[in-house]
Parts: sequence; C-alpha cells; structure tokens
Amino acid sequence: MSASARIIADLRRTPRPIRLLGASGQLGYGIPADSFRTGIERRPDLIGCDMGSIDIGPTYLGKGEMATSPESTRRDLRRVLTAARRLDVPLVIGTAGSAGAGPHLDATLAMLREIAHADRLHFRMAVMRADIPRATLLDAIRSGRVASFDGMPPLTPEDVTQAAHIVGQMGMGPFRKALESDVDVIVAGRACDTAIFAALPAVLGYPVGLAMHMAKIIECGSLCCVPGGRDPILAELDHDGFVLESMNPERRATPTSVAAHSLYEQADPFTMQEPDGTLDLTHAHYQAVDDRRTRVTGAQWRDTTAPTIKLEGATKIGERAVLLCGSADPRFIAQCKTLLPKVADLVASLVSENAPPDYTLSFRVYGIDGVRMIVPENEPNPGEVFIMGECIAPTRERASEVVRTTKQFMLHFGYPGRLSTAGNIAFPFTPPEVSLGPAYRFSVYHLLRVDDPDALFPMEIEQV
Amino acid sequence: MKLSDIAQVIRSKNAGPRRLTLDIMFASDAEYQRVVQSPALTAEAIGRLYHVPADAVTVIPYPVGRAIKIVMARAVMAGDPGDQDVYGAQQHGPLLGIEI
Repeated sequence: MSASARIIADLRRTPRPIRLLGASGQLGYGIPADSFRTGIERRPDLIGCDMGSIDIGPTYLGKGEMATSPESTRRDLRRVLTAARRLDVPLVIGTAGSAGAGPHLDATLAMLREIAHADRLHFRMAVMRADIPRATLLDAIRSGRVASFDGMPPLTPEDVTQAAHIVGQMGMGPFRKALESDVDVIVAGRACDTAIFAALPAVLGYPVGLAMHMAKIIECGSLCCVPGGRDPILAELDHDGFVLESMNPERRATPTSVAAHSLYEQADPFTMQEPDGTLDLTHAHYQAVDDRRTRVTGAQWRDTTAPTIKLEGATKIGERAVLLCGSADPRFIAQCKTLLPKVADLVASLVSENAPPDYTLSFRVYGIDGVRMIVPENEPNPGEVFIMGECIAPTRERASEVVRTTKQFMLHFGYPGRLSTAGNIAFPFTPPEVSLGPAYRFSVYHLLRVDDPDALFPMEIEQV
Repeated sequence: MKLSDIAQVIRSKNAGPRRLTLDIMFASDAEYQRVVQSPALTAEAIGRLYHVPADAVTVIPYPVGRAIKIVMARAVMAGDPGDQDVYGAQQHGPLLGIEI
C-alpha cells in the first residue's frame, strides 16, 4: 500500500485532527534545515510544497525554464522527498518547476528520478499535466467559452497559436483523484496552491472552507507569522477549525498576523475565487492558543455551479539586450529625459537607415523614474543616476547591434551646455551590453468555462 | 501626522499581473480606526495620488487584520515591455506622505 492509501485508511479508521506541513512557499530557494527537521519530528500526515506562481513574470513560462537554480531545486526536492519517504506520507508538489508547463514539469520529474536513483528510493508517483491543448482553446473561443477579466483584451486564435506555452490552473479535483490512486508522490503542473493542501482533507470529508482557508495560509510557509519568514509551518485541522504553528520557534502565528495574511497578493481579503468554488472569510475568527499558535475557525465554502479554469500563456516578443551605465554629470542628468530620446533617434538613423526601426529601444533612469510608476512633480535631481537601455529586436544579433550602437552614441552625445566632452556616462564594467535572450509577454490570462475541469488535467502513474 | 508615522506596514504587490494592491497595516485598533475614518484614504484621494479614476480604485477596510487594502489596475501588465516593477513591490511611495 502506498502512502496516500495508508494515510486515508488510517484517518478513516481512527478519526483525529490531520497534520499538514507546508514545507516551502516556493521550493528551490532553500528550506531551512532546522525548522524542517522540527516539522518532520511532528509527524505530519502530508508534506506539501508550492513551486511557483504567475508573479515571477512571463519569461519563465515562455522559455520553459525554472526561476530557481538546478542545484538548490535539487537540494530542496531531495530534502522533502527523503523525509516523506521516511515517514511514508504523501509528498505533494504543485506548479512544478516555477511555471508548471510541460518543460517545467519534466525537469522537476527528471530531478526526482535522479534523486531516487542516487538514494535508492522507490515510490509510486502521480503526475498531472497542466498544458491546455491549442485545439481545445480554439474550439472554446469559437463557442464563446473563454472570458476576459481584469481588463484583459479578448483572447484571439492568434494568441493561442502564437503562445509558447499555455497552462491552466488545476483545482482540487486532480489532486483528489491522485490521492485516491494509492500513490506516494504527487507532482502537478500549474495548480492552485490551495489544492496542494486542501485535497487530502476534502477526500476525508473535512469542511472544505476550513481546508481551503488553511491551505491558503500554509502554502506560503511561515509568512503569516511575526516576524514572517520562509520556514515550514504546521497546520492541525479538525472539523471545526485549524491551529497554525511555525516550525521556527522565533516566528509567532498571532491572530492579527494570520488574519492579515489574507491580504497578501489578494485583491479581496474576504472572498477568494477558486476553480472549485468560493472561499468566504467574512465570518473567519482568529484566536490565540498561546503566544506562538493561533486557532482559526469560521471560513465558509460555496461550490461553484459554473466551473472555470484560469489560463496563463506567454508569447515571445523578440530578443532582449540591455545596456548598463550611469551618469554623475548634473547637466546630463538634468536634461537626460529629453536627451535619451534624441540618442535613440540618432541610433535609429544609423542602424535603420532606410526603413522604420524593426526594434524598440527604451530607457529607465534609476534615480529619476526607473522604479516608480508615479513620480512626484518638482523633485530635485539626484547626484547620480543609473541608466538601463533596453532593446527588444527580432534577433539576438540585432538587439546586440542596437545596444552597442546606443552605448557609443550616448557616451559621446553632444548637447547645449555640455562640459563633460570626454564622455556622458560611466560603465561599471565593459562590455556594458548584455544579451538576455528571448523576451516574452503574457498574452493569455483568461478564464475558460468547462463542464468538467478535471478532464483538462490528465494523470499518469509512474513507478519510480 | 503622516501615514508612514502611524502605520506598521505600508506595502504594494501585484494581485495577478494586471492589478496592483496596496496594504496598510496598523499595530493597534486605535491607529487603525483613526486612519480608516480619515477622508485622506477615500477612492477619490487614492485615485488622485495614483493618477487613476476614483471608480477604478477599491478601498477595503479589513478590521480583523487591522488593515486597509487598496486595489487598482496596473497601467502596464506585469512583465510587458515598459514595465518597471514586475512584482509591483515598490509602488507604495505615494502613500507614505499622506497626511492623516
């Protein structure tokens, strides 16, 4: 019998609170060893880890690459896999490989197989893919089952055909099916982070609202504590509520800190839409158990009547190269917002002599408006600025050509009142131009209406 | 008194790639009450600070977390060309100097 079947049978035979360990809010950036060990000593019934999200931007999804380094990802995977096998409890991993598309999932699976081979571990693994077939989406557009939200323009067939990868966020269904398939390890492509932790309680008949609320909190590790941090967190769930405890003794889960976590990266702290329904925290109640633990009750759940899957897709928009430089000349700094477009015009006249530019060239001036979307009027000029020129062009060579030309003509650009005639800018090193590879943008961020959301996410079982 | 002198946390972050959310959190109920009742944090006032129409701004008081949440659309989708802040984590500046 594999771990999921054993845990389900145990808890059905002897009902008791279920213990879930949120090992990492983003696997691959390191799991603190001491607090993880403490978590394992508490003998959790499930170890869960989220590996990614959409927050990291479109390029990882588009390129099919992880945001985390292979070395640290492998180290974290080994840590959670070894512990889960030793305890013989399910290990559940969501949004494999940072963005959860096929290449991310495959890279994660390859690491797990390598670790298993090296450490002589054997287990049954469920794998759920999250890539949505283009034909399914083209058909859905034709039949009006794709909706925009948050002001996104309508999805077009071109968006679908041009996207490098399109994934859907799976909900609890595929995880429930996997847990009921007698497995030790579950690895999902793009998934709702809540499903990682809420599915096992749902299988066992615990209230879904409480399980979802708990999952929403522990998927971020000890972020809900004061001081917040990346340490593993343990939740103990019964039929009336759950108790949260960080596995780092310095982090306290207080009623206010836990309640405030509902704000984090959410548009609405009271209601949260999930593929399977709506989590309603209007009547959530937070009570201190002691100075490090809080008990949470009151979350409500409404099953959806119209299942929707959130889609994410990224399209390549060109090749990116950047120029890194700075200036400490007060006259150049004072005029740079008007000078830089003139430099760009000069560059265009040189690299695109007889045609409109086939690239974009833009500048961020750090110290003036590089970071802030809203800049106060009449701010005094800073003593120095950092300038990042960015080119997106059809080819890597073209982008490189543009930023190299920009470097030379920005250095020597003449303007009225110029004193510093040997050069306008400083380079921290040379070459100051960097080719960053393909650039992507989110071209798909839509809702897909489906009758059977779970059917979109096929499961395979593998004996490792 | 400035908001940055009263609040315990003033932060910004994406809520999905197309929306920005600002959280203001307080150490005590008294401070929360003082600010939540202030006219300086209406949708109109925030809209003026962030150069967006008031009807595009949502202000949500969250007493159980002693917090106020503000949500608005991002002008540039996260990661699009021209984006300055992919995570949206550094757009809280305009809130700091609000007079309460």
